[in-house]
Amino acid sequence: MENEYRPHTLKMSKMTEETPDVYTIEMDSKNEGRAGQFYMLSVPGVGEAPISVASGFGRNLIFTIRDVGSVTSKLKNLQFVGIRGPYGTGWPWKEYDEVIGVAGGIGIPPIRSLLEEMMDSGRQQDLEVMYGARTPSDLVYKKDFGDWTKSINLQITVDRANAEWNGNVGFVPALLRKAHLSRMAAVFVIGPPLMMINTVKEALKLGYREDRIFISLERRMECGIGVCGHCNIGEHYVCESGPIINYSRVRNDKELFL
Amino acid sequence: MESAFVAISSDFQVYGAVERDGDVIFDRVAGFDQVSEERSRYAPKEFLMKRNENVLILNVESKKAVFGIKSCDLKGFYLMDKQIFGKDPFYTQKREKTLFANFVCSEPCNGGFCSSFGGPVLDQYDLQILREGEKFHVMVSEKYDRYFREFKKETGTFYVDFSNRFNSKLEPLPVEGIEKRIKWNSELWKEYASACISCGACNFECPTCYCFDLYDDGNERKKEWDSCILSGFTSSSAGNIRKGLDERLRQRFYHKFVYFKKSKDTYLCTGCNRCVEDCPVGIDIKEVITYDYNGE
Amino acid sequence: MSVLTVCPYCGTGCQMVIPTQTPGERVIGYSKSPVNEGKLCLKGYSGLSYNFSKERLKYPLIKRNGEFVRVSWEAALTETSNRLKKIIREYGPDSVAFQSSAKCTNEENYLMQKIARVIGTNNIDHCARSCHSPTAMGLITTLGAGAATGSINSLDDSKTYFVIGSNTTEQHPIIGTKIIKGSKKGKNLIVADPRKTQLAEIASIHLQFNPGTDVALLNSIMHVILEGNLEDTKFIEERTEGFRALRQELAKYSPEIVEGITGIEPGKLREAAKIIAKEKPTSILYAMGITQHVHGTENVMSISNLALLTGNLGVRGSGIFPLRGQNNVQGSSDMGALSEWYPGYIPVNSDSVKRFEILWKRSLPTKTGLTLSEMFDAAVDGSLKAIYIMGENPLVTEAAISDVEKGIENLELLIVQDIFMTLTAGLADIVLPATTSLEKEGTFTNTERRIQKVNVIYDSPGEAMPDWWILNEIGKRVGGLESYDTPRSIFEEIRKAIPNYSGATYENIYPTGKQWPINKENPDGTEILHTKSFPIGKGKLVPIPYRPPVEVTDAKYDFIMTTGRNYFHFHSGTMSRRADVLERESPEPYVEINTEDAKRIGVRDSQKITIESRHGSIETNVRTTEKIPAGIVFVPFHFDESRVNRLVGKTLDPLSKIPEFKVVAVRLVV
Repeated sequence: MENEYRPHTLKMSKMTEETPDVYTIEMDSKNEGRAGQFYMLSVPGVGEAPISVASGFGRNLIFTIRDVGSVTSKLKNLQFVGIRGPYGTGWPWKEYDEVIGVAGGIGIPPIRSLLEEMMDSGRQQDLEVMYGARTPSDLVYKKDFGDWTKSINLQITVDRANAEWNGNVGFVPALLRKAHLSRMAAVFVIGPPLMMINTVKEALKLGYREDRIFISLERRMECGIGVCGHCNIGEHYVCESGPIINYSRVRNDKELFL
Repeated sequence: MESAFVAISSDFQVYGAVERDGDVIFDRVAGFDQVSEERSRYAPKEFLMKRNENVLILNVESKKAVFGIKSCDLKGFYLMDKQIFGKDPFYTQKREKTLFANFVCSEPCNGGFCSSFGGPVLDQYDLQILREGEKFHVMVSEKYDRYFREFKKETGTFYVDFSNRFNSKLEPLPVEGIEKRIKWNSELWKEYASACISCGACNFECPTCYCFDLYDDGNERKKEWDSCILSGFTSSSAGNIRKGLDERLRQRFYHKFVYFKKSKDTYLCTGCNRCVEDCPVGIDIKEVITYDYNGE
Repeated sequence: MSVLTVCPYCGTGCQMVIPTQTPGERVIGYSKSPVNEGKLCLKGYSGLSYNFSKERLKYPLIKRNGEFVRVSWEAALTETSNRLKKIIREYGPDSVAFQSSAKCTNEENYLMQKIARVIGTNNIDHCARSCHSPTAMGLITTLGAGAATGSINSLDDSKTYFVIGSNTTEQHPIIGTKIIKGSKKGKNLIVADPRKTQLAEIASIHLQFNPGTDVALLNSIMHVILEGNLEDTKFIEERTEGFRALRQELAKYSPEIVEGITGIEPGKLREAAKIIAKEKPTSILYAMGITQHVHGTENVMSISNLALLTGNLGVRGSGIFPLRGQNNVQGSSDMGALSEWYPGYIPVNSDSVKRFEILWKRSLPTKTGLTLSEMFDAAVDGSLKAIYIMGENPLVTEAAISDVEKGIENLELLIVQDIFMTLTAGLADIVLPATTSLEKEGTFTNTERRIQKVNVIYDSPGEAMPDWWILNEIGKRVGGLESYDTPRSIFEEIRKAIPNYSGATYENIYPTGKQWPINKENPDGTEILHTKSFPIGKGKLVPIPYRPPVEVTDAKYDFIMTTGRNYFHFHSGTMSRRADVLERESPEPYVEINTEDAKRIGVRDSQKITIESRHGSIETNVRTTEKIPAGIVFVPFHFDESRVNRLVGKTLDPLSKIPEFKVVAVRLVV
């Protein structure tokens, strides 16, 4: 049996600062994972952290990372990154004719990955993306927005505007009203707990089907392979049944959102 | 028995339950007669999951045979298998290469409640040994049948009778349906939290607890046994879903009696009573099963 | 190899079984142990991985041009002894000092103090100075023995527990569980603590008094007892002296007056006093909350007064239990690794020192030596030239760290013998790699005087050697000491040196230990002390006037800070911070602030904050809690990245020389 815990070492080809505490790294290797899945990235002597992939399947591996801990603060300065995965579930976009991706804050990378995958399959017309951040300076991938708006309906909002901002102001869930796709569309939601709760509520209110809403769960994850037990919620291990999971499967779980 | 033991010894490193300073532990043994039939002080789960090991290097393990493990402790592995066999390479390799020869108790032990989960005669085993007076009856799995070709096989209802006899001496707890009776907001969790000192014994001594922590130590990445009653078990930069000790204690019981039942259709408990024996403040999992939640 | 040994953490001295022949480094409590009855706490279960840490010291190191260079043992021992000898030759024996360790065995402590004394100095001290020196000083004065009077097991027979200045469930968890179980069974539990500890939460009465007002509180409790004629008249008459003077002093402490000092409502105090006196036997448990004060010794004597007054001594279930912090504080103190006592608490300036002159065949120093903090002062003023430290990390644990730093800088020679490159070791000229207590043989004496066998469980890394071996080599070279081949041969000498240990052998203390005094009269050891009389005849009742703490709040420094340990870590964290699960549970320095205080000054959880005292400042993280009263903050001292002892001043108890770690006026700067 392969030693699943042993990471590969990949060369980092590029590092971009997105915001003061968010950065994007790109590897010299292809992504073998699906949008929504995650990899375990590691810094030798420090540890591992689960990071969702931000690029589409088959493209160069890209991760966008927020500096919040010992591993995530050190990844950006590495030449070689330890990596294993991909793990967990992805967005099941192939099963639906229409998809609305809703991302709050640092939840955007898996939606970026989704967007690339659907574009690469020529299905960009079936996708809309709603993205919100606290302030304009918290928005990541700003340089990609131009390209994306050419192919999809991309709606962006901020909680608090500044002088230069002339876009939407307000919380992400409200953006759902600007969606053009039908109420039969699958809604993929990822972001902070409160944002996900409100987005799900809003989606249900607007008439989207509960069994077509997918959320992304966040938990402490260590092994990534359903063994170590840290990410257990109810009968699920987030690294196995999630992180992307159908809302109707977990709606009654009392420990769903942090 | 001794001849089978010798044959096994030529293929395996053999360990057995032995007494040291009054506690029964596991050590290398050279003969079947050295193996203690007393219940070991602890469930020897370190044979398949070391307390602490480097996960960056997967060494080829030697074949080991462990004599004298009791059925309740062995059953823990069969339950763990459902979640981690085939996924964790360290566990899986050792599981495949370790032969367990379990002793079946003929008398209930003090505090144990294995009859609530089927009793000491297991339907999955490598070598299952029952003593009847001076005679040993051995049930052998297909995998290890070669060591017992010359032995006379028990037929008929011997094992079923043995099992029924044992279970009639130890009345099962009303565990069936506990997943429906147990209450999320029970006072029990708060009461336990007021006494619990977070020692982790209930996890470390449980034959079915398999959770571990991964961490880096220099150029090694290690896994070490973990405990779900500790706050750091679930805390992350995003927050902590189980801030209160009462919530964490509840998680332990819910995982055993509700979540595992839902996902694997069995309870994650063998009735060994080790978590009760080793709890320094007397928290009793049997109470979780028998408690009148409706009466609260 | 053996499988049985003693936990390396607190003074409870839990026995653990570590089956070494099977894979996996399994640890379990020893079920036959009268101490822990098979139980362990999280530090026992998950705290041993430091033994296998990649950071262990493996080779002797000598600093050359500011860099450590690996050398052979022969080179290290030669250089250590030559440099020590040179300093002794030039400046005399009192220019050298030794810091022993309560983490080391009795044999090692005995050996280190012997080396110091044989070369002619009483400059030998260790961390008991910072924890229980007031206990030794106080209880030897009042009862004649500076140790717990009963056994851990005897706590099962208590009807009432009075816990003061001890967060027992976190610091001596297995002893804490006795109290929890007792309390859940309906026994009385009275907790006096400024913080709402786990025991306080379940207590029948929680006296949440102001830090540093212990004497007032205890005197007031005794005032109530006398007021209600609840004292044990027979006991007082037959077994104590000094009652009249005590009575006179106590008259001043009516609960109504004392409320203004302690903040305790008189009704509550009266109720507590009545339970302590009436619901006997009462056991009194205390720890650093009593001792780490400028009046630490007086606190201890007040506790002794209370026990004597209520006749709570000499009977199972009663007694005084100073809970020892380190696994071998009792033993290292018994061994005389203290500047004022030879082994067995023989005062350095007494005639009894002669017995050691005969035993060691030398004339010996009789001048009191330097205590821990005095050593660094002497280094600053230049009179002390060399310090030899075994297993201590004063740059983290000592009060007034900046003085320690200055002192070390001024030394000609610093030798550190340790298992890790601690902050202190980093400044050493010579670093000697030692083995852990799980890699060597010897004995520890736990908090209930139980002498227990420590055994080799694991192989040691690299060239690390047991402390006794290193000391033996140094002793031969520097002091011309005879050579000991084994810890057993040192123990045999200890039996001759200390009458209370005379009956103990490596054989008869195995496996479950024996409580001293163990001698001809008590061949099986002694579970309960003072059953018929005290070693000094009658117990002394000592009137203790209340004196306020030295550090007081003012407009600028408006918070009182207390310092201590948390459940997950141990002292300077050398061991526990290298144990994965423990470090994960408590990974960073913090200050506990009352939730309302935090709101008032506008800080939230995890926010960085600066704490300033009159002595220094540190940065740390906020942790808000309801468990600490307004106006008080708590900071653990485990974290070398934010050393709280920078804030602690050097106000010492004049009797025991312990610094006041528990009361420091600070301000919080956001």
